[in-house]
Amino acid sequence: MIWFQFQSLIGSYPLALRGLGMTVALSAISLVLGTLIGFTLGVLRTSGNRLVSRVIGLWIDLIRGTPFLVQIFLIFFILPEFGVELDAFTAGIIALTNLAACFICEIVAAGIRSVPTGQVEAALASGLSQWQRMRQVVLPQAMRVSLPPLVGQYVLLIKDSSVVSAIGLTDLTRVGWLVVQRVPNGLLVFAIVGIGYFVVCYPLILLARRLERRMSAAHGEVQL
Amino acid sequence: MIEFRGVNKWFGALHVLKDITLSVEPREVVVVCGPSGSGKSTLIRCINGLETIKDGRLVVDGQRLGDRATNMTELRTEIGFVFQSFNLYPHKTALENVTLAPIHVRKIQRTEAESAGREMLAKVGLAEKFNAYPAELSGGQQQRVAIARCLCMRPKIMLFDEPTSALDPEMISEVLDVMVGVAEEGMTMMVVTHEMGFARKVAQRVVFMDEGAVVETGTPEEFFSDPKTDRSRAFLSKILRH
Ligand SMILES: Nc1ncnc2c1ncn2[C@@H]1O[C@H](COP(=O)(O)OP(=O)(O)O)[C@@H](O)[C@H]1O
Ligand SMILES: [Mg+2]
Repeated sequence: MIWFQFQSLIGSYPLALRGLGMTVALSAISLVLGTLIGFTLGVLRTSGNRLVSRVIGLWIDLIRGTPFLVQIFLIFFILPEFGVELDAFTAGIIALTNLAACFICEIVAAGIRSVPTGQVEAALASGLSQWQRMRQVVLPQAMRVSLPPLVGQYVLLIKDSSVVSAIGLTDLTRVGWLVVQRVPNGLLVFAIVGIGYFVVCYPLILLARRLERRMSAAHGEVQL
Repeated sequence: MIEFRGVNKWFGALHVLKDITLSVEPREVVVVCGPSGSGKSTLIRCINGLETIKDGRLVVDGQRLGDRATNMTELRTEIGFVFQSFNLYPHKTALENVTLAPIHVRKIQRTEAESAGREMLAKVGLAEKFNAYPAELSGGQQQRVAIARCLCMRPKIMLFDEPTSALDPEMISEVLDVMVGVAEEGMTMMVVTHEMGFARKVAQRVVFMDEGAVVETGTPEEFFSDPKTDRSRAFLSKILRH
């Protein structure tokens, strides 16, 4: 019986690879986009413009205060009502990118706020422009604080990507559901799905731990 | 070079600068002293726009602060500011600290900026420390890097806010020696300090502040040996006691 199940599992490996590929693609694209947007929002949030900061803060609270599943449904089912046709992949990317940007914004903003005001004053006094102060003085120091939680957040977001299976994307989790209908051994199938996620996340977990150690030890600019 | 005329400033309800009128001529060294909380830091921070003034006139290097025509970022490149707490960039080496602004603000070639930076660091006695990070330097060494960082911009004015008060006593003189050197080269300087030895050696004038106002101005000789007001006498007896 178990032998038969194994055989048919092995037969499902193209599907499993497709699922893994989908999960990696979704995560990679939305993490890159989310990081770019999150950094921009984080810098804007701390730039001193009250209104901008409030608006960003409100949006972040809204996203953090609602389930990700609900956000995906809103994007996938409600936006078309307003004439915005989206395929499931695009909807998934938008939802994940938005979520990533919100969390990353807060991590980056916290890092920026942790830089002592004396640093900004020294940069200001030497005539650096606002962008140069950010790029040369504030961000490198903020990164020391932000990088470990940032990488940790990436792991959480990769796992959150499993929610997109709800709108029909064939990611790793959905492959699990599909396979389990043919091979009725949920424990076995989802153990393998779990291993798939773990394989993607574990290097990041190790990286986060290493970064944390290096942050506390070294001087100089942070390098991966 | 620096001219305050009727300058006032408030922090909320607190009147920190009260009708300040004061001027510093080119190549002049002025020492500012007074009790803690009297507004000394606020006064010199106004000069490079780290604080903004409420009313009155403040003209620095021919440009009026708060004017639309005055480009504050540009003006700041002409003014070096040395902080009590050094404020070196911890993620950059000594050499990177002193070359950052020359490269990015003055747009000097990196190799040129680095050779000028090495020269300046050697001049403040840190020839061995080009590649050291601030955390690897003593307080006195950090403050000397901070002074070199300002000098590398070839400023017209140098401002010092209690540059030696965060230092262990044995490191004070190495920093003061560097400052004396800068003064002797003809830099226009405004120095908040209680180091009377420094004031006697290089200052043309001592300004005594209390409760946000300039209470007394005089040559170091006059001020230290014959203070005119009760408040300055009380202040001097306090700092002389230790
Ligand atoms: N950013 C600020 N906000 C509110 N009050 C301030 C601020 N900076 C300084 N003060 C107050 O202004 C007064 C003068 O401060 P400061 O210029 O630092 O004095 P000093 O340098 O002579 O010790 C003090 O009472 C201080 O508490
Ligand atoms: Mg002070």
